This record gives sequence, structure tokens and C-alpha cells, in this order.
Amino acid sequence: MRALLPYLVIFAAALALPLVANDYWAVIGARAAVYWVLVAGLNLVVGYGGQLAIGWVALLTLGSYTAAVLCQRFDLNPFLAYAAGGGLGALAGVVVGLPALRLRTFYFAMTTLGFATIVTQVALAWQSVTGGGIGLPGPALSPPFDAPWGFYLLCLGFAAVVTWMTANIGAGRYGRSLVAMRDAEVAAESVGIGKARLLIIVFLFSGFTAGVAGGLFATLQSYITPEAFSFDLSVTFFIAILVGGRGSILGPLIGNVLLTLLPEVAAPLVAWSTFLYAALLLVIVLLIPGGIASLLDFRNRKPLDSTRTIVPRPELLASLLADPPIGKPIALRNVVLAFGGVRAIDGLDLMVQPGKVHGLIGPNGSGKTTTLNVISGYYVPQEGEVYLGDRSLPHGAPQSRAALGIARTFQTPRIIGEASVLQNVMIGASVDGRASFMETALTLPRHRADEQRLTARAMDALRVVGLDALAAVRADRLQHSELRFMEIARALAGRPTFLLLDEPAAGLSADEIMRLGALTKAVAEAGTGVLLVEHHADLIFDICDEVTVLNLGRELAAGTPAEIRSHKEVVSAYLGA
Amino acid sequence: MLPAILAAGLAVGGVYALIGVTYNIMFAASRVMSFTAGQLGMLGGVFGALFINHMGLPMPVGFAATLVACGVIGIATEIIAVRPVLKALDQHLYVLSTLGFALMIQTFTAIEWSTEPQPFPRLFSIGDGGPLDEKFWLPLVACVATLVGLELLYRHTLVGRAFLAIAEDNFAARAIGLPERNLRIASFALAGAVGGLAGFAGGELLLAFFANGPMLNFLGFVPVALGGLGNNRGAVIGGLALGVFQQAANFLVGGVFASVAVFAVFIIVLLAAPQGLFGAAAARRV
Amino acid sequence: MPISAPEPLLSVAGLSAGYGKITVLHDVSLTIRPGEIVALLGPNGAGKTTLLCAVSGLLPWTGTVHFGGADLAGLSPRETARRGLVHVVEGHRVFTQLSVADNLLLAGYDVPRGERAARVDEALSHFPEIAAKRADKAGALSGGQQQMLAVAQGLVRRPRLLMLDEPSAGLSPVLVDRVLAVAAALRANGTAVLLVEQLIEKALRLADRVYALAQGRIVLEAATSEDDLPHRLERAYFGHDVPTALHG
Repeated sequence: MRALLPYLVIFAAALALPLVANDYWAVIGARAAVYWVLVAGLNLVVGYGGQLAIGWVALLTLGSYTAAVLCQRFDLNPFLAYAAGGGLGALAGVVVGLPALRLRTFYFAMTTLGFATIVTQVALAWQSVTGGGIGLPGPALSPPFDAPWGFYLLCLGFAAVVTWMTANIGAGRYGRSLVAMRDAEVAAESVGIGKARLLIIVFLFSGFTAGVAGGLFATLQSYITPEAFSFDLSVTFFIAILVGGRGSILGPLIGNVLLTLLPEVAAPLVAWSTFLYAALLLVIVLLIPGGIASLLDFRNRKPLDSTRTIVPRPELLASLLADPPIGKPIALRNVVLAFGGVRAIDGLDLMVQPGKVHGLIGPNGSGKTTTLNVISGYYVPQEGEVYLGDRSLPHGAPQSRAALGIARTFQTPRIIGEASVLQNVMIGASVDGRASFMETALTLPRHRADEQRLTARAMDALRVVGLDALAAVRADRLQHSELRFMEIARALAGRPTFLLLDEPAAGLSADEIMRLGALTKAVAEAGTGVLLVEHHADLIFDICDEVTVLNLGRELAAGTPAEIRSHKEVVSAYLGA
Repeated sequence: MLPAILAAGLAVGGVYALIGVTYNIMFAASRVMSFTAGQLGMLGGVFGALFINHMGLPMPVGFAATLVACGVIGIATEIIAVRPVLKALDQHLYVLSTLGFALMIQTFTAIEWSTEPQPFPRLFSIGDGGPLDEKFWLPLVACVATLVGLELLYRHTLVGRAFLAIAEDNFAARAIGLPERNLRIASFALAGAVGGLAGFAGGELLLAFFANGPMLNFLGFVPVALGGLGNNRGAVIGGLALGVFQQAANFLVGGVFASVAVFAVFIIVLLAAPQGLFGAAAARRV
Repeated sequence: MPISAPEPLLSVAGLSAGYGKITVLHDVSLTIRPGEIVALLGPNGAGKTTLLCAVSGLLPWTGTVHFGGADLAGLSPRETARRGLVHVVEGHRVFTQLSVADNLLLAGYDVPRGERAARVDEALSHFPEIAAKRADKAGALSGGQQQMLAVAQGLVRRPRLLMLDEPSAGLSPVLVDRVLAVAAALRANGTAVLLVEQLIEKALRLADRVYALAQGRIVLEAATSEDDLPHRLERAYFGHDVPTALHG
């Protein structure tokens, strides 16, 4: 409930505005609300999804002209016209957004900038429809919304609804998935988050709110010309989000209000406002990358206990991995994978049994991690197949593995630093979410059930690895060793039938390695097959049921730890003689 | 009509190409694509008009002063917007920091200079406004001079080779003891001068106008995207082709559809070949 | 090699270094005396490359590092190289777009202009096979020749200590011997060499002393003349002395 408080305060203040201010402020307030309808949607794209859409004003323009033209030419009801503007905005949102699936950062920013330029030019030149530079009147509303305060309250209503919806989305599975995609794309794929589907939905939604905001904007302006949709405006939206802080709703809300009001309270600054916003952007990026939201994040200022230790509780695994499905083995048959001329894997056969710990060792460049990446779908082998039971796994589709029960960790932990430990672990159970995007936005029962289930599951996983006390802490405050265990918890949260661990002991202390070993063994005893890539020979020999030694992409030896330990060639491969 | 299209197309294409080269020089030294590239082109025109028309400096002095001023802006970009974010793992930060700095340049120019296009001085008074007028061939001359100059720099001076070394493998360059930071600053100064040259040479065509910044940002980036990052010859070919295509579309179907056509071609090429038509394959992710 | 050697050329004490949050090296100490070859061995991920990068200034570190009596704290790779501490990084990373001669000239960027050509010739004198290709692009060389070029780049500086990171990786046995023979020749001239090597037998045959690194700590220091080294290395690597994971 405490999280709700700031929103209620802002909403109450907004409701009280008509009581204390004159009509001029009704226009300013309405403008802030209309901008927020756009910025709230764009926040999911920029703040949560990390996509640098700097030209979103294009969608405002489209929505404005659509609503204005429909009202003027076809005498449509203004509210239907707003909806039509939203519809076109949604469509255009997907068109502008789609390149984000292939293009990164600067490239994507440029395409949105280009799109914004084009839309303005078309609006200017397509005189028969848009009125060109002369413009055309915006939709006029009937009473009570034609009065300044009436329209203000209408816009406030839109803003409140959009705030509620985006807050639901941001706090739920889709918000977490977006942030995961932004900060740890590879990990997001490994837990089954499909980038294309996710981004398309979000671009649709964000385009829709921008289009609706456009319609309201046309009414607010009462007369629209292409000049009203300047690139400065677009940049203001974008900067409001970054000033507010990525991955937050409240921060950008405050940022939006501040940036809209600033020129009003400091009139001499009007001409310099864009300059100031740009300077603000620079300062925020260089000095406070978390924006306003990070300044408001009091909970994560409390120092953590510096003497804390991780104590996993493997005995709780039974409740987390309740009745694991009867496992079938993972089998690699004659897999060949070459990078350029180098054969990283050269005809490898490997069988990983459920309920066993299988160690994979070998010198540098022997193909251990590459093998793991083939199983989890990141690399496409040139020859051979990977089977789960008798089913061949699709190559190069990492996001398909989680649903098949294959989870993994990474050599360098791939984590979402700005999210809490709990959220990081909930990501691991993403494939078990059922609610659709709209169910989440409207917080319908299926969404609430999802959240309850995933939270409980993630807490179970955190208890197993011994991090439950840190569940609410922002993940980038954890120590390196804790991040390793957090990654394991994320993998376990998906209740995997196979767990692939890539050098989990690297950077851990001797005590922690011991606990990691016990946990790994317990995971296997609970029925999950473990494939362990590791350099720490002592750990491998201690907990593995079976060990495969790779050299130059081939199997050098395989057998029990005792057999491997006394294997002459293994010893010499390790010693390089 | 054809001579007019070619003259105007090659002229603006030469400006786009030089902005593309500006992007490339900055990128080679720092792996950063900077939004200030287009602003430098805009400033080349503004500084030229300021120094020659307003302050009455002789043309060669005004020209030199423009290049120096733009070089200083290039260095400022490195110090303010690039160096602080180079160490950050977060890839997107440089986009935001350079965008912020570029917007500051642009709005400062709009306020302190003018929001209306201002005339740019006639430099040599050669030609009568026809296809052979100086305003059409000056950008091409600047383009050729830059390419030749860069080629001489890269092939015949140790500093030039050091630029290439840093572009190819920054880590190895540091390991053998090259002064990486100084070379990066020098690159940004050079990039600033090239961007300024673009705006100065194209000044009679594009005028001294603050809004040229974002326009050149986009149209100068297109040749880079087409030619592949870091490929100067690709950028020049791409820039000239873009200019001619844009002007042809302008004459044939009108300005709006020319813009739409440019944008459409840009998107299609980017989606089909994200590394550019002459670029290399992507790096490994896992 | 006499044990009562002179002042150490390089002395490292209590060095810790890593990448971001991950500390790879913990409290590492070692010394290298002028004119000796020291092999640095250890399993993958032990931190050998990290150690070299820290000492040469490519990575930040804490602790103390003295070279030829001077403190190296906070020095950049350029400054350590000027003092005669040269690091040839792993993976023969030469500049493929530039000619062999240009690669070497760049390595001599800080050498007075008039001396550069002579230094390049001097470095190439160790490697006649690439001296013949000095006008070719480095990208046209074989992997082994690129490795020679990388070592030659280091030699342009006339190092007092040359740190070679896995110079044999990906090379044929004949070429490995060629590259390692240069290390021996350098020792004869009084240059010290710190050699990170996977081929342990070759390294032990060449080196005067050996350090073994495991999990970021020095686990063994010995003269190569001592008995039973391979066995002791094996023990150090496989960690029999380390508490075992489950029963520790």
C-alpha cells in the first residue's frame, strides 16, 4: 500500500487544482495530463524496454491529424475519433518499432528520428487532407468537456487510467520481461522470453496511448499545424522518462510534470527550455543514471549486513521441484560446430542423464561452454543433433529451451542489476505465466494468480539457495558470489528437468564452493539432471556421477571421477605436456 | 533537367558523405556514434556566415577559423559526452550523452544565432547559379580533398597508422603503448574539422540554419548505414548516391515523397543488411 | 642460475586485481630478477592473463608493484612500456590492415624518430621469416608469423622485462620452438622474460624458475632444477591440498 501513496498524493493534488487555480492552469494541467498519456506508454518502450525511441512525436502527430480529420470531414463523434487515432497510432507504433528487433541503440534511435521527420513533412505537404501549413481545427467536445476545467478533468481521467494500466504492466510479468530483455537479453532468451512477441505488444500499446494523446492534444490546441509537433517536443517526452528513471512509473510521472511545468513557473526560461532539458539529460546520464526514481529509492540506501554468508538449504528442494516429470536424457549425437576454420566442437557425442551430475572439463578452448551453448540453442551446429529423449531440439532457438525444462546459468552472471533479487528470480519462471498483456494491464484474476504463483515459486527458490533474506534488495548491490547463487535460483524457479551450470564456482571462496557442491548434488538427487562445466577439478571429482573430458572439441575420456582421475591422458592434457 | 538533378544531387550528396565520414572518424577512435556529427555540419555553415558575413574576416581566414572552431567542438564532444561513458558497460549511454550535447549545441545556436536561415557568403563568385555554379561543385571538391587527405594521413604518417591501429584493436593498441587517449582526442578534433568543412562547403546550398543539424544527422547517417560503419569510401559512394536519389525523387515526384522514399530505402537496406552493404558480420554474444 | 641473484627487476607484493565486481587475483606476490626466464603456469581461469594485464597497466590493481626500483602504481601501459616493461598480449593481436613494418613502427611510437628504423631492423633480425615480408599486410601472415610479429613488436622497445602471454597457442611444434628460442636468446642479452605457457614441459625446460597460479593465488614457487616438479604441479592444480568440496 505504501507504494500507492505517492500516486494518491499526486492524484489528489491534481483533483484539487481546480479549487485553487485559474483557467490558465486548466490548460497547463491538461497539457501535462495529455503528455503523460503518451509518456506513460512510451515509458514501457524506453524506460522498461530500453529502446531508444526518440521520435515518438510522430505518433502524436498521426493521432492528432486522424482525430481532427475524422471530426472535421466525417463529423465523427470526438471520442470515436480519439479511438481511431489510437488505432492508427498502434499500427504505426508497430511499424516504427519493428526495426528494433534487428537494430540496436543508435540505429534504432535514427530510424525513429527519420520517421518523425517524414511524418511532419507529409503533414506539411499533404494539403488536401491536413491543410498543410495552415492546419485544421481539432475535435471540439460537447459540454461538460468544452469548458477548461471539464476538459482538464477528462484528460486527468485518461492519465489516471493509463497510469494504472502501465503500473500493472510494469510491476507484472511483462514489465519484468521487458527489463530483462533490456539488461540481460541473453538470459531473457534462456528463460523463454520471446523478444519479438513482447516488443510488438508493447509497441502496439505504446502507439495506442500516443495516438489517443494525439487526439486529446488536437482538442487541447483547438487548432493544429505541423509546427506544433516539433522535434523538441519529442525530445522532451524522451528526456522526461530518463530524468524520471528507467524501469519506474512514478519517476517519469514526476519528470513529465516537472518538464511541463518548468517553463510556466520560470517564464524567462521558456526560450531556453529545450537547452535546459538537454543539459539535464547530459547531467542525468553522467551523474545520476537512475534518475529521480533512484533518488526516491530509500529502501536500497540501507546498508546491507557486510558479514552475511550464503547458506543454501537443499532440503527445501523437494517442495520447489515437486514431482519432477520422469526425465529423458539429453543426448548430443555427432555434433560439429566450427567458427571460421576452427572446429570448436568436432564430432561430439554426449549423454546427460536425469538425476545425475555430469561434469564437463577440459583445457581452454576445448569446447565446454560451446557445448553448453549448443544445447541451450545459442549456437547452430553444422552437423549433428541434440535430442531430449527421442525429440530433436530446434537449433538456434534459445527461447524455446525453458519450456522444455532446460535452464542454465552463465560464466559471467547475466543479471538485471536495477531489479530486485526477487524479480530477478521470478524472471526464471516466466514461461509459467498465463495472463495475456491486457489481463495484466487490467489486473484481472488470471494475472493476480500468476503473480502469486510466481512470487511463491521465486521465494522457494531463494530459500533453497539461501538468499531469501535479500529478496527485496536491488541485485546490483549483491556480491559476486551471491549473484552466482541468484542465477542458480533463477534457473531453479523454472522447475527445470535439466540444469546447465557454466563455471558456477568461478570467483567463489572455498566454503562457498563446498556449499555450491552440496546444493548441486541435491538438485540432481531431486531428479533434475545437471551438466556442470567447471575448472575446479576438486569440485568436479567430488560431486559428479560422471565426467566427460574434452580436448580440441572431442571427447578425450569419459567415466566416473575415479577413472578420470587416474587417466594418464587427462592428466597430461591438463598439464599440457 | 538531368544536369540540374546531377548537380544538386552530387552537391548535397557530397555534404552527406562528409557528415558520414565525420561519424566514421569518431566511431573509429571510440566505437561511439555521436549525434554531434550533423550539428558540426550545421555549425560549419553558421560559423562561416558568422566569421565572414558578420565579422568581416577575409574568406581564407574565416574558413580556417571555422575549421578550428568545429575542431574545438569535436574535442568538447569527446571530453563532455564520450569519455565519461566509454567505461560504462551500458551500451546505450553514449547515445543519450551525445544526444544531450547535440541538442544543447542546436538550441544554443537557435537562440544566439537565429531561428531563420541566414545567408552564407559567396566564396569565389564562380558561376551563374546554373549546374556549374560553385555552390554545386564546392562540396564535391571538399569531399575529394577530404578523402585524399585522409588517405595521405593514413598511409604516410605514423599518427595516421596509429588511428587505424586504434580503430582495429583498441586493446592491442594500448598494450603496445600507443597514447590511446590523445589519439582519440585528435580524432575528434579531426572529425570536427571534417564536419565543419562539410557545412562550410555546402553553406551556399544549405545556408546557415540551426535546423540543418538534425537533418544532416539523419541524412549523413544514411550513407554510413549503407556503406558500413568505418568505411569512408563506402560512406562517400553512399552519400553521393543518396544525394542524387533524393534530388531525382524531388524533381520527379515532389519533396514529400522524396523524403518518404529516402526513409523507405534506408529502412529496407538496414533491415536487409544491418551491417551495411560493405560491412562485416556481427560479433558473438554468448 | 645463481640463487643469490641481484636486486629483483620486478617485485609484486599483495597484488589484487579483477574485472568489475569479480576479483580474479588475490594477494599475489612474485619477483623476477634481471636476465632470468620465469614461467607462470596454472589451469584455465587461474588469473595468469589478468596478472600480466595488471602489471602492464592494462587493468587497475591494488597492492604494490615495483619495476627497476620505480613504483608502477597508476601507470598506463604506455608508461610501463617506456620503463622497459613490455607485455605481448595473448592471441597474436597484430594490426591486420597494416604492413609488417608499420606494425613495428607503431610499437616504436615513443622511440625517437631517428632511431625507429634501426629498432625495427633489430627486432626483425630475430625473425628472418617475417623480415622478408616487411611490406606485406600483417593480415596476410600465418598465425605463427603473426605471433612472431607480436613478439617483435615487443622487442622494438628493447625491453628489460618481456611478458609473453601464451606465445605458443595455435602454433605448430616447430614454430613454438622458434618463438621460445628467441626468449632464450633474449636471456643471453640480459633481458628477463615472464612466460605464460600451456605447454608445461617446454616451459619448464626453458625457464629458470616457475610460479604456479590457481584460483587467483600463487600455489607454488620453485626453481626448475628442483625434483618432482610435474608431480607437484599436478598436486597444486588438482587441489588435493585444498579442502574438498563436500567433506571439507
